[in-house]
Amino acid sequence: MSAGTPSDPGASSGDRDLRLAESVLGTLDPAERALVERELATDPAARAARDAWERRLAPLALTAPEIAPGPDVWPAIARALARAPAPPIAANDDAIGPLRRSLRRWRLATGTAAALAAGLALVIALGPSRPTDADGRYVAVVSRGGEAPALLVSVDTRAGTARVRPVEAQAPAGRSLELWYVGAGQAPKTLGLVGSGTRGLSLDGLTTPAAADALADGTFAVSVEPEGGSPTGQPTGPVVYSGRLIRD
Amino acid sequence: MRASPLRGDLPADDPARTDAALAGFIATIARHDEAALRALYDRTAPKLLGVILRIQPDRGAAEDVLQDVFLRVWQNAASYSPAAGRPLAWLCAIARNRAIDGLRRRREVQGPINEDGEDWVERLVDPHDSEGTILGRNALQACLGRLEALHRDCIVLAYCEGQSREDLALRYDRPVSTIKTWLHRGLATLRGCLDGAA
Repeated sequence: MSAGTPSDPGASSGDRDLRLAESVLGTLDPAERALVERELATDPAARAARDAWERRLAPLALTAPEIAPGPDVWPAIARALARAPAPPIAANDDAIGPLRRSLRRWRLATGTAAALAAGLALVIALGPSRPTDADGRYVAVVSRGGEAPALLVSVDTRAGTARVRPVEAQAPAGRSLELWYVGAGQAPKTLGLVGSGTRGLSLDGLTTPAAADALADGTFAVSVEPEGGSPTGQPTGPVVYSGRLIRD
Repeated sequence: MRASPLRGDLPADDPARTDAALAGFIATIARHDEAALRALYDRTAPKLLGVILRIQPDRGAAEDVLQDVFLRVWQNAASYSPAAGRPLAWLCAIARNRAIDGLRRRREVQGPINEDGEDWVERLVDPHDSEGTILGRNALQACLGRLEALHRDCIVLAYCEGQSREDLALRYDRPVSTIKTWLHRGLATLRGCLDGAA
């Protein structure tokens, strides 16, 4: 694969545009695909350039002949919908894309001063997949800039757990990221450290239905703490991800 | 049957599939309306299956991809915005991506699979073929026609059939690095031509 060595990120914009073009073609090798995914997640100009290539080449896709699917395809889709009726729900990899995109369906209130000072756009979406769902599951995406999710937080108010799956969040060397829930007018309550795998964290007082409803009035925040977590029980380091939750 | 990309109907003239109608279905799907997904399926599934079958010729596997595409549409409808392209093009992009992903995973196990797209590629490059006129009014067709034949064929085979650089290297008996160079030269020329014509 020597010929497929990815261009370095500092390569010329022409190289980058052709790499984005190849991402539309589908011919990048895995290392290049990963590079492009990072660019798309962090750079609106890269997304615009990729969209431009999609538009340039789309007429070629539309030349495909129409071929009627077999009669079994739609029933299979309907059955799958019945099994997973309301996206987004599950805290698995497949949920991350739709969750990220569902951010746009919630109004976002951003802007704690600390996070702005950190130079990060603040986006958190939290919404019950259905307001009337009885299963008590909530999902939040914590992300920068509304694109690449940094954390996926799924809350099960029945089991009383929050599962945290880091997606792109990375703690500085020798430090830990700690997740906080800040209820209206309350002191931050730690939900635990953001680890390298899925974690189950106790929600303590957040498990009653009334408290679950109140979740949307609070804020999730992630702060940088000494390795092992805040020594004081309250955030001591800069808040790197944070946002107010507003349900539509 | 492996059909020519030039034989397909251009869908823009079908009033049931206008951008506005499809965008309306997608917006309704975003509110978890299964009937809207069915309506979108009825109007677009044959085209999307055609897109998928060029990449994944196995009918059963292609229909599995189609199913996956509509489940993704169900999950991602809220993300659609006209800035991302016209609705059918957005759907086709999802279908291509899913089909190519499946192909790459399979090939990691099985190795490259020979394709037989030569006939329609040659048709595409032949300016005297009357079927080529279906796309004749299209800027993309005109600009593809200006590319060097090998560069154009690589781009079309990659885009329409999901062929990888390695597949194309085998097909043309050239190093992968040469294929990458061809792709880049072709794409750069295409960009200049299309953007100049716009």
